[in-house]
Amino acid sequence: MATLLEVKDLRTEFHTQDGIVHAVNGVSFSVDEGETLGLVGESGCGKSVSVLSVMRLIPQPPGKIPAGQVLFQGRDLLKVDDEEIRSVRGNKIAMVFQDPMTSLNPVLTIATQIGEALELHLGMTKQQARKRSVELLEVVGIPEAEGRLDDYPHQFSGGMRQRVMIAMALSCSPQLLIADEPTTALDVTIQAQIIDIVKRLKNELGMAIIWITHDLGVIAGLADRINVMYAGFIIETAPVKELFGNPVHPYTLGLLGSIPRLDESRKAKLTPIEGLPPDLIEMPKGCPFYDRCEFRSDRCATENPALELVAVRHSAACWNWQDVQKRRGAYLSARL
Amino acid sequence: MSQSIAAPTRPETVTPRVRSPQIQLARRLARNLPALLGAAVIVWVVIVALFAPVIAQYPYDQTNLNAVEQAPSAAHWFGTDALGRDMFSRVVWGARSAVFVILMVSIIDLALGIPFGAAAGYFGGWVDTLLMRVADILFAFPGLLFVFFIAATIKPGILAWAKSNGLSDLAKSGYLDYAVVILALGVVGWAGLARMVRAQVLSTKEREFVISAHAIGVPTWKVILRHILPNSLAPVIVALSMGMGDIALSEGYLSFLGIGLQPPAPSWGNILADNAGRYWRTFPQMIWLVLIPGVVLATVVFAFNFLGDGLNEALNPEISP
Repeated sequence: MATLLEVKDLRTEFHTQDGIVHAVNGVSFSVDEGETLGLVGESGCGKSVSVLSVMRLIPQPPGKIPAGQVLFQGRDLLKVDDEEIRSVRGNKIAMVFQDPMTSLNPVLTIATQIGEALELHLGMTKQQARKRSVELLEVVGIPEAEGRLDDYPHQFSGGMRQRVMIAMALSCSPQLLIADEPTTALDVTIQAQIIDIVKRLKNELGMAIIWITHDLGVIAGLADRINVMYAGFIIETAPVKELFGNPVHPYTLGLLGSIPRLDESRKAKLTPIEGLPPDLIEMPKGCPFYDRCEFRSDRCATENPALELVAVRHSAACWNWQDVQKRRGAYLSARL
Repeated sequence: MSQSIAAPTRPETVTPRVRSPQIQLARRLARNLPALLGAAVIVWVVIVALFAPVIAQYPYDQTNLNAVEQAPSAAHWFGTDALGRDMFSRVVWGARSAVFVILMVSIIDLALGIPFGAAAGYFGGWVDTLLMRVADILFAFPGLLFVFFIAATIKPGILAWAKSNGLSDLAKSGYLDYAVVILALGVVGWAGLARMVRAQVLSTKEREFVISAHAIGVPTWKVILRHILPNSLAPVIVALSMGMGDIALSEGYLSFLGIGLQPPAPSWGNILADNAGRYWRTFPQMIWLVLIPGVVLATVVFAFNFLGDGLNEALNPEISP
């Protein structure tokens, strides 16, 4: 399928009083039309910052994008003028944020907020936008949609607000939906509902999705491909089955080891990844995962590995990936 | 989007009554007795100010030397002063002066404070630096002293300019005094408001729904007007309400000290000064001539403060006891 979005060597940094925070350090990935890409990693690893950079929503200053290209349908979004990027935002690329409780403007009715994008990008009148808003709310499963148009965000529950956010994002039929941890702030049953809605809409609308999460369980059933991020780098990328079946980066292995599974004995212990991610102001010279890695060697301390092809469509950034592949059985079974 | 997407059908539910934030605010305010009283006093003063010519039985500057220093009576509700002017009429016209000055100064404060504050908070950079330095300078002086300074220095300048341009009639009329008072209070007042707006905008612009609005592609000016400002103005409304009391008081000070509105123009401040200056030796004779304008002014200041407190509690329900 045709490539929709191609990010090349994206770097984002923040100039703070304490120094330069290197949030994203040369990230490259692409999203095909209709593809779902999962972006996985722990808090502060650069997932959100990289997609916000794609949308050019990083506040500048203190943010800065010193290098990289974001090619969307052939245009470099980092180079186009403000008006052009605004015509892409919400129209071709839409975004759903993490916390539905704070992502809606508390003083505007939801009709106004959903209508905003419709009036802006599709040139609809207020009446047309209202009609469309009702349809959209019905699509995301809000009962009695028409009667709820003039409600304010505080009259909705968290799950309902996230549905409203999704309706807003879908309003202009975007080609790419960026979902920044859209289920993290919701409880588990609501999470499942939201994921179902997105899955259904993805199939019916054929849009591409970038789904950010730190929960591998959420992404397993949703994504075609997963990028694992750590300290502003993509450290492993593979199709979803390949990643779960053949993880070769110690960090990915750690992530897999730290999620509970239904099909294992109840006595199994969850293995946390010890330690903390590196300071993004003073980045280590070698591999950023060095301090926490159980498979490290001397080379890792001085040289940062680049992504290297380890299997078909599967790349990882680890000097010792073959060693990991051999020893990971023992690593994972230690928890049983 | 294709029309084929099936909407899940749900049983009919009863939608709860829609309550806009404005209605909630009004309801919370209505439950607050001091705030309600304050609002009532303010409404009443505004009505008196609007209909001053109808309510006052005598012109505010009409002297009657056959009826000086009279006690309150049916003909003169608040008595008469040393020149036989009807005190009730003067106090009623004084309300008009006060309301006019409060309104104009508030308009200046808002017209300068909100755009400058919002621009400084949102864009930062040189606008921010400029605003903060100007505000620093204004705050470095004791406020009242600065008002005195402006009021005392700009008036002679304007007078000289008016005379040399054949506008001496304008200079002689009372309008110039109003302009001086309004200008002086406005110049000193707007920076505080701008700083407050700036601080609010600084925090509101980082909130998720603002980023969300940007992500929809809303133009910057619309994000500021529609998403940031309405969510930043709560403390500004409170400050403005309290500030209006301050403006009334400041106008009183200025007129009391003779650099505000000049007699015979009626201002509670200069009525107070007039009578207090004349009768303090003979205390407690004619005490009502001093008390009435003082009490009226104090009531109005209290009213604005009560309303401000009530608004503060209504806008921030989490802090109210």
